[in-house]
Amino acid sequence: MREQDLMTSRALEQFLASVEKRAFKIAQLGLRNDDDALDAVQDAMMKLVQSYASRSHEEWRPLFYRILANRVHDMQRRRTVRGRIMAWLPSRDAEDEEDFDPIAQAPSPDLTPARRLELDEAIDTLEVAIQELPPRQQQAFLLRNFEGLDVAETASAMGCSEGSVKTHYFRALETLRARLGEVF
Amino acid sequence: MSQENEPSAFEKRTREVLEESTARLDGRTLSRLTQARHAALEQQARPARQAWRTLMPVGAAAAGVLAVVMITGRHGGDVQPGVEGPMDDLELLADADAPDFVDGEDLEFYEWAAGETES
Repeated sequence: MREQDLMTSRALEQFLASVEKRAFKIAQLGLRNDDDALDAVQDAMMKLVQSYASRSHEEWRPLFYRILANRVHDMQRRRTVRGRIMAWLPSRDAEDEEDFDPIAQAPSPDLTPARRLELDEAIDTLEVAIQELPPRQQQAFLLRNFEGLDVAETASAMGCSEGSVKTHYFRALETLRARLGEVF
Repeated sequence: MSQENEPSAFEKRTREVLEESTARLDGRTLSRLTQARHAALEQQARPARQAWRTLMPVGAAAAGVLAVVMITGRHGGDVQPGVEGPMDDLELLADADAPDFVDGEDLEFYEWAAGETES
């Protein structure tokens, strides 16, 4: 591999490592399923490396989140269609159940039980509220507030104007405040 | 962060909670994210090798076609008298029955040498 390619590869690895956890959380909130979220993140990583590795590093974040948003949207649409078809078929719940892994699900031992309980409740409440936001508001809120993109980057990632980003973000905040104001 | 301004306490709090949620991702998820990253980066190193693998059979096929064209072209095309190519030289050298190769004096020598070997 040439030196330039090696540098790009290292920069890409650092970039992907820096966004992968938040990207997973964003996909998980949009899809409400861990495996689907992991697939969406992997697809976005593949596509970024395959098609946009040569772009300037500053462009990677908005591009990556745009790819991820498109992937999440495709999966949501496919799921809706599949849901309509599956509604006509007999239930297969027993086969669809995943193996429960108690070690993977075990809580981290760092926090006190009281603090853990408080955070658990806060996380659950916030995530449910975010999941119930309209998709564009959810996207604007997560990209701006959680991922920390500025308005221009968020607009690029969402494929809309900066004005639309501001509107979606403002409405998302209003909805979340109205719903979580007492808790937060 | 309300429109590029300093984030409000509510925005800070929601962000903290989401960060905490991300910090709690289980080992299986973290491992799969690492695998996904490596798979994506591996594919970046692959195209050069893949292109080489793709071009190898194409190159071999092209060489085969060229050889066939050279051989059939020699027989099927217009043959110019007196113009001999490398293939003609090879045929001539390989023809053991060609007596013109050996002139009179050498022929006597070779007959004597053959007799000495037999006796």
